[in-house]
Amino acid sequence: MEPILEVKDLHTNFYTSNGVVQAVRGVSFSLEKGEILGIVGESGSGKSVTCMSILQLLSNTARVTQGEVHFQGKNLVTLNKKEIRQIRGGKISMVFQDPMSSLNPLMRIGEQIGEMIREHNRGMSKKEVEAEVVRLMGLVRIPEPEKRLRSFPHEFSGGMRQRVMIAMALACQPDVLIADEPTTALDVTIQDQILKLMRSLQKEFQRSVIFITHDLGVVAELCSRVIVMYGGLIMEEALIDDLFEHPAHPYTMGLLRSIPGASQDRSQRLVPIPGSPPDMLNPPKGCPFVHRCPYARNICAQELPPYTQLDATHRSMCWLLSPDAPADNNPFKEVREN
Amino acid sequence: MSGTNPELILEVRDLTMHFPVPGKRIDGKRPVVHAVDGVSFSIRRGHTLGLVGESGCGKSTCARTIIRIYDPTSGQIKLDGQNIENLTQAQLKPLRQKMQMIFQDPYASLNARMTVRDIVAEPLAAHGIGTERERTERVHEMLAKVGLSKEHANRYAHEFSGGQRQRVGISRALILHPELVICDEPISALDVSIQAQVVNLLKDIQDEWGITYLFIAHDLSMVRYVSDDVGVMYLGKLVELADSDEIYAHPLHPYTQGLLASIPVPSPRLARQKEEVSIEGDIPSPIAPPTGCRFHTRCRYAQPICSQEEPVMRDVGGGHQVACHLCK
Amino acid sequence: MEEKKELWAPFVATDEGREKIWSKERSFAQDVWFRFRHKKSALLGLVLIGLSLVFALAGPLMTTRSYSDQTLDYVSIPPWFRVYTMEDGTFLYLTSSMRPIQVAEDGTLGAPLVRIQDDMVTKKITYEYGADVVTVDYSQKPPAILDAAGQRMTAGKMVWNKTYPLGTDNLGRDLLVRLMYGARISLLVAFVAAAINLVIGVLYGGVAGYFGGNVDLVMMRIVDVISTIPLTLYVILIMVVMGQGLHSIIIALSSVYWVDMARVVRGQVLSLKGQEFVYAARTIGSSTGKILLSHLIPNAMGPILVTATMLIPSAIFMEAFLSFIGLGIPAPMASLGTMCNDAIAALRVCPYQLFWPAVAICLIMFAFNFVGDGLRDALDPKLKK
Repeated sequence: MEPILEVKDLHTNFYTSNGVVQAVRGVSFSLEKGEILGIVGESGSGKSVTCMSILQLLSNTARVTQGEVHFQGKNLVTLNKKEIRQIRGGKISMVFQDPMSSLNPLMRIGEQIGEMIREHNRGMSKKEVEAEVVRLMGLVRIPEPEKRLRSFPHEFSGGMRQRVMIAMALACQPDVLIADEPTTALDVTIQDQILKLMRSLQKEFQRSVIFITHDLGVVAELCSRVIVMYGGLIMEEALIDDLFEHPAHPYTMGLLRSIPGASQDRSQRLVPIPGSPPDMLNPPKGCPFVHRCPYARNICAQELPPYTQLDATHRSMCWLLSPDAPADNNPFKEVREN
Repeated sequence: MSGTNPELILEVRDLTMHFPVPGKRIDGKRPVVHAVDGVSFSIRRGHTLGLVGESGCGKSTCARTIIRIYDPTSGQIKLDGQNIENLTQAQLKPLRQKMQMIFQDPYASLNARMTVRDIVAEPLAAHGIGTERERTERVHEMLAKVGLSKEHANRYAHEFSGGQRQRVGISRALILHPELVICDEPISALDVSIQAQVVNLLKDIQDEWGITYLFIAHDLSMVRYVSDDVGVMYLGKLVELADSDEIYAHPLHPYTQGLLASIPVPSPRLARQKEEVSIEGDIPSPIAPPTGCRFHTRCRYAQPICSQEEPVMRDVGGGHQVACHLCK
Repeated sequence: MEEKKELWAPFVATDEGREKIWSKERSFAQDVWFRFRHKKSALLGLVLIGLSLVFALAGPLMTTRSYSDQTLDYVSIPPWFRVYTMEDGTFLYLTSSMRPIQVAEDGTLGAPLVRIQDDMVTKKITYEYGADVVTVDYSQKPPAILDAAGQRMTAGKMVWNKTYPLGTDNLGRDLLVRLMYGARISLLVAFVAAAINLVIGVLYGGVAGYFGGNVDLVMMRIVDVISTIPLTLYVILIMVVMGQGLHSIIIALSSVYWVDMARVVRGQVLSLKGQEFVYAARTIGSSTGKILLSHLIPNAMGPILVTATMLIPSAIFMEAFLSFIGLGIPAPMASLGTMCNDAIAALRVCPYQLFWPAVAICLIMFAFNFVGDGLRDALDPKLKK
């Protein structure tokens, strides 16, 4: 398959009063046509910053210092403001975590969606735009779209607002949709509805989606491929089933262990990952996970591990996968010997 | 229920909390938000009761009313056998040592202008316990217990990560050695890898000190793991209350069933097999809650009776209580 | 080989490594200062305020003259002027009242000449000049000194007034000294007014915001009533009752200006009291006073400081305005406003008399506005980098 979006060795820094925060430290991945790629990570792992860097949506204290983002023959990092604005919303659109702050509270819902359509389809008549708005609102399953068209954002619930945001994102039939934690602020029952909606839209339109979340459960329900980020780096990248069934990075394993499963007994203790995520003002020289990893070796603290390609779609950044690594207290070697 | 059961640290009966809606008074009547509407439960000493529900179901209001940040509209709250619903703030002050709260937002719940030492020492200072030096000593002990060091004590809260802040919040709540700790969504704002840390920490301290938790969350999987009993709230009402394993194995109320079904399963294989039984629609407004069973507008099994008559909580055996016309 | 083994030996993770915070340990004030000093205009403002404080406080100590000392011989002498070079190489300056003054080469003013005779017909005045006489011709404008041949001379050489660097006013008082005292009065009024407003406004607004409900309602209506009374009317009333002077101005300013501060603080407290850390303090059992003083007000300090800083220039301006219209400091005390007022009469002849106090007002106002602006940016958490 041919990638529609390719990110190569992306570095993004934030310049703060405390020093330089290295939020993204060399991220490369590609997005295939028609797939939902999940990016999982904790807060501060750089997952949102990566996507903001793609669309140049960073605040003015941040800068992409290195790397390329290839999309339809262009390097998005080098585009000027006008050029990137044409990509944003038109060819790549975004859905954010907080729908209320992304909607104008003084404008009717219908007008806001209509504005998006008109922005990229000049010369459409008023009637046509309205018909298109109603169609889009129906598409995201907002009940009685003809009526709700005239509502203001505050009359909508959180879930409905997020549907409006999705409708706006789909208005210009983008090639890529980036969803930045779109369900995090919602209740589980509403999250379930939105996930269902995204699945059915995906089946219908075969869009390429980058779905950012911190919830492995959401990833399992929605995505076909996953990237696990930690400390501004991609720790592991795999197809969804591989990741959950054969995790090849201690961090991924730790994450999976710290979620209480359906079979988790109350008497059993959860296995948390000890400590806190690294402070990106001064990330560890080696693997960012070294201080929290139960299998860490001295080498992990000294040198950044290389990627090990386990198969065509599965790679992981861990020293323990290296052929030199001894087998004692090594989760990967033991598995292989069996 | 006139007698006092010494086993029970907290008894809540028919707790109701209505907030007036500011403004609108066209017909003379003032609309109210029915945040909590007749909730009753009790917690045994040393046990944990989980309260779950979606946002707007009144679980946080319930917690804040019990700890008397709000003055309840009606109902009884009995802490350790003593009614506290009508006490003034001054009368409550000595009782506050018995009851503490852990807050949801680790960012908003710590004063940004105070050092961690001052934040954790505040309860000691408020109750006049110890000298400055003794307080500092106790703060250091408490911080060590939650895995932070002395060096952290002189820093300001904004320099910490979310998990570290929440541990500071826990230290503040526990430094007085309270008997009852109300945890208002203590893990909702934390990262997955940190949630397990905090939950384990809370459980360890419970085992050591024998404290009681009222654990509020919207994350059912964690609640089940933490709690002995689980209550499910919907629109200000308790709809189901049972032993935590029981409620997960045999959810009776359609809302509980839907809530359980909508938790994302962290396994792609199971996710694909998952039945599509999610709840449709949005939560109705708590200003004008639906008549009868409040869930009937979203319930797939709703009968005519559900919209007319309000179901009462009844025991269906083994302490499993449910408020549904269809569960006999 | 040994080295390799070492590399693969288990890594010993410490709690310190896991929980280490790398950012520098900095208090809130240090953080604000860091952001403040990265804004050039704010720093410039701070420097200007410092200079004006030195000027106003230390300046009068360095001169023996007082703001009320008059030298009637030197009335309305500008800071620089052109002098006539006489035949014997001495210099004379002809004042606007047509009186020649001896001037040393470096610009130090000497004695004025003594008048012998005023011939109203030929419009000539003769002055005694050593053994000689000097004639001033005012038949044509401007007046000029005549040379030995009776020809009008032109004043050529330009000198700086060394005796009075900023010149004198129309009563022969040193403008520099008056400016120092004027700045002193203005800054005093501003700081005292700001400090009183700060205390009253913060406490009043804090109490109204924290208790809310009917307390808030009543307190804020009082604020509304106070803010509807025009300030000038209020000042006049106070002047009538208490007499003219510094104390009346300070009382007038500080009894009115705190309403803005009270509104700001009330708004802040209202939004802060719903925050979880305030609930936390309440569930802990902290007293109301403690909650107000150690939780609410420190967190509202940003807007409070900005409002207070912005209040200073408006108080300075108000004081200048009141003095200018004659309601402020009584003569002969100098304030920037009275200096402006004094200068107005002779504006076309001696514009420098208005220039100095006007510049001083501008600079002080600019400085405080710059600092206020810088503080707002430095204190606003939303703009935090």
